[in-house]
Amino acid sequence: MKKTLLSLLVACSTSAMAAQSYEFGVTLQGYDGSATSSVSYGGQIARHALHNSLKKVAGKGDQAQMNTYLSSTEAGRVILDPVSKDGFPVKQSKIDELSSGKDLLSSAYDGVITGWPGNPTGQELLEQLVDAAAKTKAGYDPVNGYDYVQLISKFAMGAVFYNKAVNHYLEEKLEADQHPNNEAYKPGTAYTGKEHVWDEAFGYFGAPANGLSLSAKEVVQITKQNPEVFAKADANGDGVVDLKSEMAFAHAYYAASVDASAGTNYFHTIMQAFVDGRQLISDAKGKALTDAQRTELKEYAAVIATAWQQVIAEAAFKYAGSVYADLEKIAVIEEAHGDVSKAYRNYVKHWGELKGFALALEAAGRDLGNAQAGLDRLIGFSPVLFGDAQVVALDGKGGFVQANAGPMQEYKLNMIKVQNLLAQSFALEAKLNDKTAGMSDVLEQLNAAAQSAEND
Amino acid sequence: MLESYLTWLMEELATAGSSLLDLRKRVSLWYLLSAVGFAFVVFYWRYGKHGWQRLLPYVSPKVWLSRSSRTDVGLWLCNRLLLALLIPKTLTHALWISGLYYYWQKQGLTPLGLGWSTTWVMVLFTFCYVIADDFSRFFTHWCLHKVPMLWAFHQVHHSALVLTPFTVFRTHPVEGVLFFMRSLCVQSVMVSVFLVLFPNQVSLWQIYGVLVTTFLFNVLGANLRHSMVVLSYGPRIEKWLISPAQHQIHHSTDVAHYDRNFGVLLAIWDRLFKTWLPGNDQQTLKFGTGRAIDRTGVIGHWWIPMMDCADVIRHGVAKRCRNLKKRLTIREP
Repeated sequence: MKKTLLSLLVACSTSAMAAQSYEFGVTLQGYDGSATSSVSYGGQIARHALHNSLKKVAGKGDQAQMNTYLSSTEAGRVILDPVSKDGFPVKQSKIDELSSGKDLLSSAYDGVITGWPGNPTGQELLEQLVDAAAKTKAGYDPVNGYDYVQLISKFAMGAVFYNKAVNHYLEEKLEADQHPNNEAYKPGTAYTGKEHVWDEAFGYFGAPANGLSLSAKEVVQITKQNPEVFAKADANGDGVVDLKSEMAFAHAYYAASVDASAGTNYFHTIMQAFVDGRQLISDAKGKALTDAQRTELKEYAAVIATAWQQVIAEAAFKYAGSVYADLEKIAVIEEAHGDVSKAYRNYVKHWGELKGFALALEAAGRDLGNAQAGLDRLIGFSPVLFGDAQVVALDGKGGFVQANAGPMQEYKLNMIKVQNLLAQSFALEAKLNDKTAGMSDVLEQLNAAAQSAEND
Repeated sequence: MLESYLTWLMEELATAGSSLLDLRKRVSLWYLLSAVGFAFVVFYWRYGKHGWQRLLPYVSPKVWLSRSSRTDVGLWLCNRLLLALLIPKTLTHALWISGLYYYWQKQGLTPLGLGWSTTWVMVLFTFCYVIADDFSRFFTHWCLHKVPMLWAFHQVHHSALVLTPFTVFRTHPVEGVLFFMRSLCVQSVMVSVFLVLFPNQVSLWQIYGVLVTTFLFNVLGANLRHSMVVLSYGPRIEKWLISPAQHQIHHSTDVAHYDRNFGVLLAIWDRLFKTWLPGNDQQTLKFGTGRAIDRTGVIGHWWIPMMDCADVIRHGVAKRCRNLKKRLTIREP
């Protein structure tokens, strides 16, 4: 009886100790500084602010400004988004207040992106997109069907944040010889090697530190800087939202957004795995992680990587549905001889979001199998344009070459196939804007890939 | 190169082996055992305490270790490897269904909007799917017997001298491709039409992830069809459902039994096509084709049908040439 009570007490105290927020004390052995927290991911938040600001300036088409937020590391750069709003003040207004000397481009994926003409690397593609955006009015190219604001933003999130976290920190950096836990990350830091590696991955996800105590809807509203959720966002109650730990950025926002619409649990799944993994590292108390601990840590990393990939695929799925709906609207307006310019603008915008997210899936060095070629072919290098043309290549001067792609409305069938491909390849759950009428669920039931040759 | 080939080989064989625990496969251990349980109950009810003796052939080492039985297993594993290369693994069904789903809508097919609950749609879809699937299996099987070029391949299944549950895999790879195409056609048409008529409501009624009828069919002794255990459902039920005894008649060497009982689940197709014969527990049958193929191994079962098919084509061409010559001769003044 006594033993049972004791074990119950221990269990209760352990669960009480389990972190509910991404806050962890110093465990580095021999540390004699004044820091009380070992959590640090300011550089990642600086890149989130760079990305948000880049998206703002991409809509203006000023190349110098875009490069300021894409590739420059100069001091004094102003944060263009998020900025303080009535009822939602933010703490920082300069990139340097988050971290100095950071850029987006050097952290972007340097492998080949097959879904864009010319097979550029991720870094080259970002530069090309910025160059091309600078030649347009407000980042919109109606001739080739490109919305550069969307293409740059959605692809950059994948090529930088998703890539660095999943392909770098949660993969190779978890090996025993990489930033061991019994050493400081760098001389003088208050955190160990493995603590910081994990923190950097978490920073790229973009969730507020108190994410586990927030609902998906609240996370979405924090990104939108809705004054109604300010009290929830300002976790430390200092009257301002600290971008370093209290704001929701990038894929954390998209995960929460999908969950808020579909009732799925991507945001909290990823958040919980990050917190649990970090707790495991803290529990090692500054000693090198054992093989068993690293194995467990890799399991948390796998949960994060899978759900993160699903979030991006869910977003692509949703926008494939939007592209389908836009084509339907265009057909109706055309039949009524109305003005299609607004519907076409939406079509290009949604295609940019679809393509940006689809390219992001390619930008983390993960093997997508047949899905990669399928997505590249079905989505193509541009939407199918009026006159049934589609971008098919680059010419010798880097200009886009168009060719006939069949009837514009037939592109809807491609969107159905894209949705099926995404749903099947990434085991999607939310499937927002589903234009397949629930096909992937039936296909799963039919177990269509059965291979045995069975007689009757 | 060799390493990746071996990995692939082992993975495919492991997947084949996993069928023994997979409820979606007829040869799952659960169904192999449930067939014994089902037959035991029926025989006890019909023949009393000695009824169980009728089950002895099911576990007879003489049957399981025979060359015919070993060829069943050999074809199962070898076909598995070959078909993994011949049949595209994923997305074929999805692409076809997507295409048809889009095509029907272009042709003006729209949702029925009847306001039916998802449960009713599931029941209706499952019913229609089972009927279409069963008929397509019957008709494919009928064609395999009636078209000489197809029989050349289907003879592989009939060359079994003894029947075991693994005879279900005794199939020529070409026939395996035909079965794949049959399933592709039925699933594509049924699913695409229903998705248009009842968007976001289409699903199959399943038990443990298996289509309800397949589950019941397998639990209630589907494995006895290919076994030396003779079990009839009785004259009344056999008019509607194909019994193990009826399928064994289909495998019989007796000329009177040729081209009978093509059905899988339902007997109504055989009655419509006048190929239905009842079975009974007392029937004694011999199995096989009576040809050399009966006594060959895997290679023979792959090769002989190709030669036979080539013969059929050669004779067909020669006959056409003769007919053409005859017609031309008649026309000459």
